[in-house]
Amino acid sequence: MYIDTLFSIFALIAIAGSLGLVLFRHPMQSALCLAVTMISLAGIYALLSAKLIFLLQLIVYAGAVMAMIVFIIMFLNLREKDLPEERERFTYLIGGAVLLIPVAWFMIKVMKSIPGVKNSIVGNGFGSIKELGQVLFTNWLVPFEIISLLLLVTLVGAVVLAGIRRESND
Amino acid sequence: MIEDYLVLSVILFCIGILGVISRRNVFTVLMSIELMLNAANLAFVAFARLNETMDGQILAMMVIAVAAAEAALGLAVIILLHRQKGRLDSNVFSLLKG
Repeated sequence: MYIDTLFSIFALIAIAGSLGLVLFRHPMQSALCLAVTMISLAGIYALLSAKLIFLLQLIVYAGAVMAMIVFIIMFLNLREKDLPEERERFTYLIGGAVLLIPVAWFMIKVMKSIPGVKNSIVGNGFGSIKELGQVLFTNWLVPFEIISLLLLVTLVGAVVLAGIRRESND
Repeated sequence: MIEDYLVLSVILFCIGILGVISRRNVFTVLMSIELMLNAANLAFVAFARLNETMDGQILAMMVIAVAAAEAALGLAVIILLHRQKGRLDSNVFSLLKG
C-alpha cells in the first residue's frame, strides 16, 4: 500500500532530522534539522487525514516558529567561540539513552497492545476546517477562550520584556 | 497500522528528552522541547484517527498555539539573557542558586 511506504519514508526523515537536532553542535544546523522534522511530520498528519492540522503544522510550526528561531539565531550572530563547550555531552547522551531505553521499550509495548486499525484516508470531511470549527466552538469553547487568554498574556509579556530593556538603556 | 504512528511519537519524544538532558546550548534545549511538543501532537492526531473523532485534532491545535507562545516568550528571554551574560551556556544562567 502506498500509505505505508510514504509513512516509512516520512518516519525515517523525521527520526534522522531529530537526531541531527540533538547531535549537531551549532544551533543553526540544529534548527534546519528541526525544520526538516516538522515538514515530514506535516506529511504524516496528511496521511492521518488531519487536513487542518497539516496546514497549521506547515504554516505555524515550519513557517512562523522556525522562521522566528532562525531569525533569532542569525540575529545573535554566533561564532564558534560563542558556543558552550559541551565536552561531556556524549557521556550525558549515553547515560540518558541507558535510562530512556527501558521506558521507551515499555511505552512501545503499550502502544503495540492497542487494537489498531489499518490506516486509510478518511473522507466525509473528517479533519477539515468546517467540521473542526464546529467541534471547537461547541464542545471546546472554554479551552479555546483560555488559549486566547494565554496568547494575550504572551503578547503583554513580550511587550513588557522589550520595554524593561529600553528603560534601563536610557 | 496506526500503532506505527504512536511508536514514532514515542521515539521522537525520547530523542527530545535526550536533547534536553545532554545539551547545554539554550537554543538546542528550546528546540528539543519543541520536538517533544510535536511528538505529543503526533500522538493526539494518531489517536484521533484511531477513534475517528476530532477531539484529538482540537487538542493538537491548542498545543500548536501553546508552542507558538512558548517560542515567542522563550526567545525573548534568551535574547535578554544573552545581552546580560554574553553566553549561551545554560549552566551560566543558574541565577537562583543564591
